[in-house]
Amino acid sequence: MESEFYESYSKRHELAEGWKKAGKGIIGYFCNYTPEELIYASGMIPVRIRGTAENIALADAHLPTFCCSFIRSCLDQALRGRYSYLDGVVFPKTCDMTRCLPGIWKRNMKPPYFWFLPVPGKSNDDAVDFFTGELALFKESLAGYTGNKIDNESLNKAIKVYNENRSLMQEINKLALDDTPPLTGSEVYAIMLSGLILPKDEHSAMLRKLLDNLPSSQKTVNGGVRLMIAGNTFENIELMQAIEECGGTVVIDDLDIGTRYYWNHIEESDEPLKSLADGYLRRIPCPCKHLTQPRIENILKLANDYRVKGVILINQKYCDTHLYDRPMIENSLQQAGFPVLLVEHSDIGWAGGKFKTMVRAFIEMLE
Amino acid sequence: MEKEKATVPFKPVRLATSAALGTLNENYYRDLANAKADGKPVIWITSMTPIELIYAFDGIPFLPENYSALCSSRKVAAEFCESAEGRGMPQGLCSYALCMFGSIFEQRGALGDEGAGKPDILLATEGACATHPKWWEAMQRQFNCPLIIIDAAYTVDGDMLPEHHKSYLEAEIKKAAYELEEYTGRKFDIDRLREVVTLSDRASELWDEIDEMRAAVPTPVTQIDVFTCLFALVTLRGTREAVEFYEQLRDEVKERLDNGVGAIPNEKFRLIWDLFPVYHNMRLLNYFAEFGAAFVTDLYGNAFSGRVDASDPFGSLAERYLSFFMRSASLGKSELYKQRIEKYHVDGIVFHSNRCCRCFSAEQPETGQILREELGLPSMTFEADMVDPRIFDDAQVKARVETFIEMLEARKYPK
Repeated sequence: MESEFYESYSKRHELAEGWKKAGKGIIGYFCNYTPEELIYASGMIPVRIRGTAENIALADAHLPTFCCSFIRSCLDQALRGRYSYLDGVVFPKTCDMTRCLPGIWKRNMKPPYFWFLPVPGKSNDDAVDFFTGELALFKESLAGYTGNKIDNESLNKAIKVYNENRSLMQEINKLALDDTPPLTGSEVYAIMLSGLILPKDEHSAMLRKLLDNLPSSQKTVNGGVRLMIAGNTFENIELMQAIEECGGTVVIDDLDIGTRYYWNHIEESDEPLKSLADGYLRRIPCPCKHLTQPRIENILKLANDYRVKGVILINQKYCDTHLYDRPMIENSLQQAGFPVLLVEHSDIGWAGGKFKTMVRAFIEMLE
Repeated sequence: MEKEKATVPFKPVRLATSAALGTLNENYYRDLANAKADGKPVIWITSMTPIELIYAFDGIPFLPENYSALCSSRKVAAEFCESAEGRGMPQGLCSYALCMFGSIFEQRGALGDEGAGKPDILLATEGACATHPKWWEAMQRQFNCPLIIIDAAYTVDGDMLPEHHKSYLEAEIKKAAYELEEYTGRKFDIDRLREVVTLSDRASELWDEIDEMRAAVPTPVTQIDVFTCLFALVTLRGTREAVEFYEQLRDEVKERLDNGVGAIPNEKFRLIWDLFPVYHNMRLLNYFAEFGAAFVTDLYGNAFSGRVDASDPFGSLAERYLSFFMRSASLGKSELYKQRIEKYHVDGIVFHSNRCCRCFSAEQPETGQILREELGLPSMTFEADMVDPRIFDDAQVKARVETFIEMLEARKYPK
């Protein structure tokens, strides 16, 4: 069952091409700050743009090699034609790299639909009002492009569908509160990744089926040292498997593409754009937003709730905002009694052997 | 091809006015050191912060970025960066930040002194990059003083500034003024802000005038003079001293212009410098001059100039700080260069691929391609770090310069 999720993620381009052939419109988007509900309500399928661990072939002519491997890989995949099925692409203003990429992407990929979504850095009332205005412009533009009406009803329906998926994903996480969780960290990661691609109703149906069948399945994971992984996103699912091979088990995460993607719900209301603006801005902040404290508190809470023995803090090489957070998070965790393993990561040229040596030593130290 | 290389390293005739900069510098650092005794609040700000607000409160603004540049030119940046890394600051952080943290940790400064001391207030603006507020947050943990953040949204295209973006930033600047009232215990005075804004506008106007004069053939000022003289615009924008300094500078440049005096002898090539100075190796600019290559325009200096209007101080400040050319998600910089290439008779562009400043370097390859494809403009790129000299490969960079010059020579003066 779990492998179905991974398969749908690894075959994501084939799946999307199938939807395209069936006459569906597909919009690629970046980052947790794109309110996918708007795209869903417009009748298009939102898919997260991801890189891979594959070597860079074409992007080096367009981006310096000291930009993060995530952004280089995303552009590279696009230049290779892997995203040729996209009708459009949405860039929210999050980190500096996600702000630098749109111009380059637009010039080289010439997407039929293109939208840059200004997201404020703060999350106070003024910022929410500003963002509500921006979402109204985004909504108008999507409606204009698709010719579909987006109203409060369709938006609230989208919010409901997305909230349901968020709840189900959190249920999956909560399974790991058990001393012997029925799913491994890498299985949970694959389940989450598939949700970046599959339409949310379909993904939710798969999650329900999985949850319904779990009580009868065996509790397979035991004995692994309970760990948390926090930091950037990464493409190599082997990284999660490597941790398990070293005798650890990831029971909870604070990753860009991980719990922070689905941890906060959006309120259904008669002002859905405002609810979306409020919910997206006031979620647990990405390091590119201010301030950092709520994220640190959330990391500490998760580490306590999930009774982890240690935390792997994984930072994408050259990711400035995560780098600034690293000393603050490291200190806060250590003060709270959680040992930390610092890992500098790049999906491209990832060395599993070196990573395993570090993780093994860390786990030995914890035991 | 035979290169016309001087045997003695080129030493440009500096502008007499740039000597007056020494006095400005000394006065500024004296005021900073005496701030406590004078009862003036010291406010540490990021580069794209409306500095006018600080002067309106009669405060002393301090720019860590500028200070790290000073440390770099005084050859103490490498040890400061190492010190910061040794205390857990990640490698690969912006070297302005790393170097500043090193100076803070070591309690040593650029001039063999005890460093820049402590801020009374930290004020960061989401103005140039997303890391500024992060850096300021990290310093707040160090100094435990009030932190103000001015938020601003990015536009898709800097040329089309939406009204609600302007009003959002305007409200943020006003809120910062309230916070400054609270933290400094001083009353905000709109008339004082109008005065400061008038002075700031005048300094920018003069800077733009000087920038225009660089279009002359031969160009009257060196890039080193431009970078050094920028101090007054960066740190003293909004003061009478800055205006007087730029009036003097403008007059001297004008005099050179009227007498046909070039900044370098035998100007053969006219180039654009993109973008950051290499503070630890400003002499690299002179190396170009040895081959008759002069830098005639750049956007770095212009990032700090911008017209403001005393009749609408908050609104015009908001507009001015949103118009900064890197504040958009489009490739706007190439459009600005396109406007300058003909006017300034430009033969080529040099990209300083600034390793630690990802967001200002990321679009350089694309900018180079656009200028090459649309205007046939040749370019060269070299990698360095603006502040940290540890990765700089002098011989390799110079070899690149030589190859580039040969190519320019073959294009412009075919045999």
